[in-house]
Amino acid sequence: MYQCKYIKGHRLKTILSAANCIIPAHHHLESAGTMNTIGVMDHAIAQMPAELRFQFLLFISIVHVLGIFFGGRCFSNNRQADQIRQLQWMERSMIRGFRMGFLGLKSYICMGYFTRESTWNGIHYCGPIKYDQTPPDPLIRELCQDKRKVCV
Amino acid sequence: MKKHYNIVIVGSGAGGGTVANALIPLAQKGARIAILEQGPHYPHSFFTQREIEMMRLFRFNGAWPVTSGEITIAAGQGVGGSTLMYTGVSFRLPQDVLEVWKVPDLTYEDLSSRFNRIENDIHVVLPSEKMVNDNNRLFQKGCQQLGWPVKKIPLNIKNCQKVGFCNLGCDSGSKQGTLEVQIPKAVSAGIDLIPNCEVHYISKKKIFATIQNPPHGTLKGPYPSGNICFHSDIIVLAAGSPCTPGLLLKSGFQKTNPWIGRNITLHPAMTLYGVYPKPIVNYRGFPKTYYTDQFTDSHDYYIETAFYYPFVSSRHLGIWGRDLSETMSMYNQLMTVLVLNHDKVMPENRITINRKGMIQVHYKLNKQIISSLCHAQIQSALIFFAAGCERVIMPCASPHVIHRNKNNPKELKQLIQTQNFIPIKTPVSSAHPQGGCAMGAAGQSVTNSWGQVHGFPWLYVADASLFPKSAHVNPYLTVMALADRVGEHINENQNFLFNS
Repeated sequence: MYQCKYIKGHRLKTILSAANCIIPAHHHLESAGTMNTIGVMDHAIAQMPAELRFQFLLFISIVHVLGIFFGGRCFSNNRQADQIRQLQWMERSMIRGFRMGFLGLKSYICMGYFTRESTWNGIHYCGPIKYDQTPPDPLIRELCQDKRKVCV
Repeated sequence: MKKHYNIVIVGSGAGGGTVANALIPLAQKGARIAILEQGPHYPHSFFTQREIEMMRLFRFNGAWPVTSGEITIAAGQGVGGSTLMYTGVSFRLPQDVLEVWKVPDLTYEDLSSRFNRIENDIHVVLPSEKMVNDNNRLFQKGCQQLGWPVKKIPLNIKNCQKVGFCNLGCDSGSKQGTLEVQIPKAVSAGIDLIPNCEVHYISKKKIFATIQNPPHGTLKGPYPSGNICFHSDIIVLAAGSPCTPGLLLKSGFQKTNPWIGRNITLHPAMTLYGVYPKPIVNYRGFPKTYYTDQFTDSHDYYIETAFYYPFVSSRHLGIWGRDLSETMSMYNQLMTVLVLNHDKVMPENRITINRKGMIQVHYKLNKQIISSLCHAQIQSALIFFAAGCERVIMPCASPHVIHRNKNNPKELKQLIQTQNFIPIKTPVSSAHPQGGCAMGAAGQSVTNSWGQVHGFPWLYVADASLFPKSAHVNPYLTVMALADRVGEHINENQNFLFNS
């Protein structure tokens, strides 16, 4: 079992919803909004320098609150079309901080999704040739192999 | 803890490793020499071929942002520096670029003789046909159909296993970076290698540093963890750009030399993708074997082949939503190229230190670079279509995905426009930070042509921060040649050995 340290509460809901917008399901690919994606992301967030982590988590809270302007409710409770509209606005915003925040969020979601072995089948990637090479960090290997149940 | 050496080299990459190699004759005469490396010393068994596990080979996980956020820098951190995770590309500095550099006493004849010797030492070869995978073959086909020159990239490889994980550390040791060639030779000759050693600042003939415990699975150095002060007759800084100018700034050298941190270039790069109609296995085989210089003189860029792993590819694509899922579901059909812009020195781009003592790179993409990168996207789209791709994904196109029926320069020009370039949103990266301690004449630069810092005869620089302007090409062989000059200068001025 892996217990998330940073992605909880409204941030969990926000990231799950954003992940479904950024990487939606397609043919054999499931959407990115799963607890397995969250587990890899949370582990990566734990490795961030404290100041950067604070900024990232603050940005997630801002995404949550800003949902009010795009659909009348917080981000995760809005319709997906409104969520996409909000993310598009942030990505193209005149305010640099929004563009940087969106890029960070998107990058971490992509990391949490495309580094997991269960995704590799869907994208036809065969992964490492030396499959069982001793991992420098066994926890991240297990998270990427979906061997740990992720909970909050 | 205090330690005394005759020469301390800070950094173990293309510059530091080569200086150490050049100083072997001095070590054999009894000089005490050490190489300090901030990162760990990785054994081959550490390289697991998994991108999330190998992000630790890079500073800031491979995405060190400039202050504007418009570019992220990828730089290696470990014994071998960026040769740990580069692709082995070993271009010579073009002669016309050296002429533009205008460094007094630095001639092409001098560099040529060093290139010859170093290429032999690090086994630079043109890749054989067996090395060419589908992605490279298609690139060659595309360029040839367009009538553009397509050339083989010189690589420093030996007995390459062609597994395709060069950028995650070469687990077979085939890539002949400093981790494989220069550092082992130097260590065999008695030069101390001290990994996990972070240098905080330097003062006259002293280096203040901290040694950390080695991370699990990496090799130990000779000293225990803790603060350490190195006394050294000669100090060679080869921590790479932007770390070498950053270290000089942290140490207060800008009071006597205002050029420190100036003259930086980054080679802004974009990775571009096309979708081929059937599966092609591009993540195996050697990622880089061809390039075209068709637009180097007219539009300031090269187009090289490249291929990256799923997470990095998803970042480079610059798209999300249905387009991203659809494109990544065809990861095994993606054809990829890398566009490498040779940027010009701009006075507003520079390296500084913030209040917390952190190195900051100030860099903004100007109109000229954006225009060049957009031009490169149009030409890359033509290559993809000529190679047979059905669609291409261009970050500056609106919409991003362009289908084959738009395959003509006029329509591509209408779709790919500079107004669609949104800084930060449009993915631009750099793997070649250069400058910050430019060589040149006293009063206009940081070092002389031998890498010796003006006014400080005991202090040298030996890395890409010496470049006064962009090298245009991948810089590693040029760094090695300049570092070899630094080694030669120290060898020829070795009186300090007998005075100390």
